[in-house]
Amino acid sequence: MVRKIVLGLLTLAGQTLSAQEIVFNQKAALEQVYKKPVEADGLLSMNDLNVEFGYVLYQSEITTQSDSEELELENVRDYAAVYVDGILQGRVTDNHKKITIKTNPGKYLLQIYVENIGRITYGPEITDNAKGLFGGITLDGNDLKQWKMIPLNVKKYPIKDLVFEDRKDTESPGFYKGEFELNTSRSNYLDITGWGMGEVWVNQKYVGSYWEEEKQRSILIPSADLVQGKNEIVVFELKNNQQKTMKLSQTPVFK
Amino acid sequence: MQSYALKAQTVSLDLSGKWKFQTDVMDFRRGSLSPRYNHVLQEEIQLPGITDDKQIGYKVPYQYIDRLTRKYEYMGPAWYQRDIEIPAAWKGKKIFIYFERTHWLSSIYVDTKEVSSIDYISVPHNHDLTNFVKPGKTHRITICIDNRFQYKTHKWNHAHTEFTQINWNGILGEMKLMAIDPVYVEDLQVYPNIANKSIKVRLQVNNETKKQFKGKASFTIAGTNYNLKNEVAVVSNDSVTFVEANIPLGKNAKLWDEFNPNVYQIKAQLNISDGKTNYQHEKATTFGLREVKQGKNHVVINNRPVHLRGNVENAVFPKTGYAPVDNASWERIMLLIKDYGMNHLRFHSWCPPKAAFRMADKHGIYFEVEMPMWGKDAEPDEDRYNFFRREMRAILKEYGNHPSFVLYCNGNEITGNFDFIEELTADAIKLDPRHLFSGSTARTRVKSDQYYVSQQTNKGPVKVYEGLPNTDWDRSMESDVDVPVISHESGQRCVYPNFEEIKKYANSPVEARNFEVFRDMLQKNGMLDQANDFFRASGALTVLEYKAVIEALLRSSKSAGFQLLSINDFPGQGYAPVGVLDPFWDSKGLVTPEKFREFCAPTVALLRYEKSSYFNNETFTGKAEVYNFSNAAIKNAKLKWWLTDANGKVLQKGNLKSQNIANDNVSPVGEFSIALKNVAVSQKLTVHFSVNDKIKNSWDIWVYPEHENLMKSNSDVLYTHVYDDAAKKQLAQGKSVVLYPAPENVKGRKSMFHNHFWNPIMFAWAPMTIGNLVHNEQPVFKDFTTSYHTDWQWWDILNNAKVIEMQNTPEKLRPFIQVIDSYDNNQKLGIGFEAKVNGGKLLVLAVDTKTDLDKRPATQQLLYSIDNYVKSDKFSPQVQVEETFIQSFLTK
Repeated sequence: MVRKIVLGLLTLAGQTLSAQEIVFNQKAALEQVYKKPVEADGLLSMNDLNVEFGYVLYQSEITTQSDSEELELENVRDYAAVYVDGILQGRVTDNHKKITIKTNPGKYLLQIYVENIGRITYGPEITDNAKGLFGGITLDGNDLKQWKMIPLNVKKYPIKDLVFEDRKDTESPGFYKGEFELNTSRSNYLDITGWGMGEVWVNQKYVGSYWEEEKQRSILIPSADLVQGKNEIVVFELKNNQQKTMKLSQTPVFK
Repeated sequence: MQSYALKAQTVSLDLSGKWKFQTDVMDFRRGSLSPRYNHVLQEEIQLPGITDDKQIGYKVPYQYIDRLTRKYEYMGPAWYQRDIEIPAAWKGKKIFIYFERTHWLSSIYVDTKEVSSIDYISVPHNHDLTNFVKPGKTHRITICIDNRFQYKTHKWNHAHTEFTQINWNGILGEMKLMAIDPVYVEDLQVYPNIANKSIKVRLQVNNETKKQFKGKASFTIAGTNYNLKNEVAVVSNDSVTFVEANIPLGKNAKLWDEFNPNVYQIKAQLNISDGKTNYQHEKATTFGLREVKQGKNHVVINNRPVHLRGNVENAVFPKTGYAPVDNASWERIMLLIKDYGMNHLRFHSWCPPKAAFRMADKHGIYFEVEMPMWGKDAEPDEDRYNFFRREMRAILKEYGNHPSFVLYCNGNEITGNFDFIEELTADAIKLDPRHLFSGSTARTRVKSDQYYVSQQTNKGPVKVYEGLPNTDWDRSMESDVDVPVISHESGQRCVYPNFEEIKKYANSPVEARNFEVFRDMLQKNGMLDQANDFFRASGALTVLEYKAVIEALLRSSKSAGFQLLSINDFPGQGYAPVGVLDPFWDSKGLVTPEKFREFCAPTVALLRYEKSSYFNNETFTGKAEVYNFSNAAIKNAKLKWWLTDANGKVLQKGNLKSQNIANDNVSPVGEFSIALKNVAVSQKLTVHFSVNDKIKNSWDIWVYPEHENLMKSNSDVLYTHVYDDAAKKQLAQGKSVVLYPAPENVKGRKSMFHNHFWNPIMFAWAPMTIGNLVHNEQPVFKDFTTSYHTDWQWWDILNNAKVIEMQNTPEKLRPFIQVIDSYDNNQKLGIGFEAKVNGGKLLVLAVDTKTDLDKRPATQQLLYSIDNYVKSDKFSPQVQVEETFIQSFLTK
C-alpha cells in the first residue's frame, strides 16, 4: 500500500518536473554501417553469415504482377521489417510469417531488415538455433532468388563517426539524433512510446534497446551517462520511422 | 455429555499404512461403469507412497534417450480405500481429511457419494468431510487420485513433469483425519516489522456455530533463548472473522537472514465460548524477523542488499521419483548449497513442499518459487487461468510465513497474454508484502515486476553461458534497469555422462537406460575404455567454465545475482549432465566444495586481466577486486598477490595497499603487474590473490617464448598443407610428414573450446562436442605443458581448428588431441593424430597455423613441441592407417 502511494507521488513529480520532449531532427543514413555484403542464390542464416546477434539486411529484386501479392517467409528469427522501394509494408516474426505487398505491378527492391535478439528459446517447438532468414521466401508462390545479405554494424559502429543530416521525410530505417538539456544529472527513463524497434545511445554510450511489442516502454539512462547541460541522444529505428520525439520520465513507463 | 469440549483440541488419526487399492485404466467414473467406490477394492498398497513403489502400471520396455526411463508408467485415476470408524467423541466437530502432497486431483468418496475434490498441485489437500460423516459410525472412505493433466499446462512444468521427477500417482507426507472445534483458526499469517521488531499476526477465525462467540486468542512465541506470551480478546458473530494483533518482540528479538537464520515459532491458541460451550483450537507456524524490499539493483533484506548466488532446482529426484517431503532430505540439499558457497535456490516451474522451506529457514537459503507455468501457459484458457489464480493464492497462504520465501515468480519463460501475467503479479503483491514478485522469467516485462530473472534486459545480455580467457568484463551495465536483475540459467556446460551412475538406479522408480545405450555405442565404437577419461576431461572443462561464469557474474556489481543451471545434473530435455553433482546430488568428484568456494562464496577475491596466454616478453597486469556480500566489512584488509610455478614455488609476490573493504559491494582494490621476462621457468603459472590470508583465489596463465622458423621441412621431415605426391613420396621413403591442412580443407565439424551447451540431444547444433581429451603423457607434448583436459591456453588452438572424423581408423589409433563426441553419437574424433602410412610416419594437425599466428603464443608453442617431436627419434607411430583414410577427411 505504502509503495503505491510513493510511486504515485513520484509519477506526479516526474511529469511536472521533467517531462521534456526530445526532438529528433537529424538523421544518419543506414548505409554508413553496412558491412561487406554476401551474395547468394538462396538465403543464408545469420549463423552462416557469422553474425552472432544484431541486424542483417536481406535484399532482392522483385517483380510484382498485381497490386497485392503475398510474401511468405519460411523462417524469421527473430523479427523483421519489410520494405519495398523504401516504403514499409509491415513486420514479420516467426509466429506471423506472411505479409501483403501492395504495389503497382512492376520491378521493385525488396528489403527485409532482420534482428536476431540473441536468445535461445527453449521448447519442443524449436530444435535448431539458426537465426535470421533461412529456408525460402516466396512472393505469390514463386521463390525469390539472388539475395544480397548485408550485415549491419548497428551496435558497434562508433556513434561519433556517423554523419547526420537534416532530417527528410523518408520511411527508411536509420539513425536519428536529438538533444536535450538537463539541470541535474540524475537518472532518467527514456519514454519510447510510439517508436517501433531499435537501439539508443546517450552521449555516445549505448543505453539499451526497445520493441513496441513489449509492455515495457522505457529505458533507464543512468545518471553516470548524463551531464548537466546539453546531452545528445541517437536512436536507431527499424520500423516506425515517422516518429519525431521521445520524452524523459522519472519513473519506468509500461503499457 | 459436553466433556469433550473442555479439553477440545485438534485430534487426528494417522491414516498411513495399508490401503485397499485398484488401478483404473478405464476411467470408471467417466465411463458410467460401476464406479469403484461402490465396491470393496481387491488389491493393497502402502501409503504414503506412489504407485511406482509397488511397480504398478505399464512395465516400460523402452530405453528412453532424452530422459531417465520410468520403470512402470502409470497415468490415470487410481483408487485407494479404507473403512474408517469416526470416533464418537468427534460429535460436533469439524472433520477433515488431509494429505500433505498429492498429484494432482484428489477426490473423496464417503460410502457411495463423492463429497470433495481438490486440484492444487503445490499445497496440501484438506477435504472437509464434516457434513458427510457421522461420529461413531464406520464409513468406507474411498480416495481417487488422478495424475492425468487436469489443465492444458506445459508438459515440462516441473510440478508435474514426467521428465525430472516423475508424474507420480499417490499420496505423500502427512495423511490424517482431523477433528477440530467448530470455531477454529483457519489461517495464521505473521507479518514482521523489523523497524520496531514487532509482528502483526493475522488470524482468520471460522465460526460454524452460527452463534456469537467471545474469548481470547493467546500467542506463544518461542525461539532460541526467547519466550513471549501475548493475547487479544476476540468477539464476533460472523462466520469468518479476522483477528489482528500487533506484538512487539522486544529488542532481544533477532533478525533472520542467510548469516543468522533465526527462526521463531508462534502458536496461536483460541479459547472462546458461545456462552454454553467452550471451544479451543491451536495453530502454529514458524516465522523469521525479516523484511524484503526492492533495491536499486539488488534484493534488499533487512535493509541490506544481498547478492544471490543460486542454483536452478528442477524437481530432480530420481531416488524417489518425487520431491521428498521429509526434513532430512531437504536439509542435505540446503547444506550442499551452503557447502558450495551459494545462498539461493530457484524452483523452476514448481513450488517445493513445506520441508524445503523449513530447512531453508533453518540454514538461511533464499527461495524463489513458481507455479507450474511455462511457455504458452499464459495463452487464453479461462480454466487454466482460474487454476493459476487459485494456485498462486494457495502458495502465498501455505508458505508465506517462511522467511526463506523471498521471491515469487509466476513461472518460466512464459508466452501469451501478459495482461493476465500482470493481473496475477499485481494481485499477489496486494495479497502478501513479505516477498518480491515477478511476472515471468526471461520474457516480457510487466509493470508490477519487482525483480527480473532473465537472459537479457533491454540493455543487453545478462546471462553468462561460458567463460573467456580474459576476465576484464562483466554484466553490470546490462543489469542496470528499473528493477533488480538476476542472471537466468547461467552455465549449462555439458559433461560426458558417467556410466558408473547406472548402478545407482537399482532401487529407483527410474533407470538410466539412455546411459546404457550411450555406453553400448561407445563400446561398439571401440572406446569404452575411455569413458571415464571423457567424463573427467569434459568435467574438468565444465568446472573451469563455471569458475569463469560465476566470477563474471560476481564482478557485475549491478547484478542482483545469478541462478546456475546447474550444480546438479538435469535428467530430462535430452539429458543434460551439466552438474558437478549427479542427479542424486552426489559429487562427481570433479571439484571439491572448498575449491568451488574460492570462486563462489559470500566473499571472493577477483582479478581482471587481459588474457591467459602470454609471450615471455610481456607483462601480466591484474586489476584486483573484492566481492564482499558477507555480513561485515573487512577492516584493514591485507591484500597479497603472488605468482607460483607448476610446482607451487613462489616466483614473485607483492602486496596491495591495505584497506577497508566495504560489504554489500564489489570493490576495486588495486592493480599489480608482473613482468614475465625471466620469470617463467615453466609454461604454466598461477596468479594468486588473497584477502587477509583467508579468502583466496587463483588463476592459471601460460607463458611462452616467441618462436620463429616453425614448421620448416628438412631432409627427414616434410611439412605440407596438402596430401600431394611429394608427401606420398616422402612417406614411401619411410620418412616423416607433418600434414597441416587449412581448416577449410578439412571435412567435419568446427572445433570449439567450449563443451556443448546444455546437451546435444535437445540442442543438436554446433559444436556437438563435449570438450577434448588430451593424451598429455605422449612425447608430442613434451614441450607443451598441458593437462589431460583442455584449459584456457587451448583457446586459440581449438577455436582455429577442425574436427576430423576418425571412426574408420583402427581401434588402437587414438588421436593425441582427441575430441569428445556427443554421447548419442560417440564417434572417434580428433584434431591431431599420428599414424604409419605407406611405410612412412605421418602426423596430422587440423589447426589453422597461419591466421594471426604472431598473436597466438600457445599455438606457436604447440607447433614447437610438435616440431621437436617429429624431428626426434621419439616420433614412431605404432598404428597403420590406409591412405584412403587420409584422403577421406580432406576436401582436396
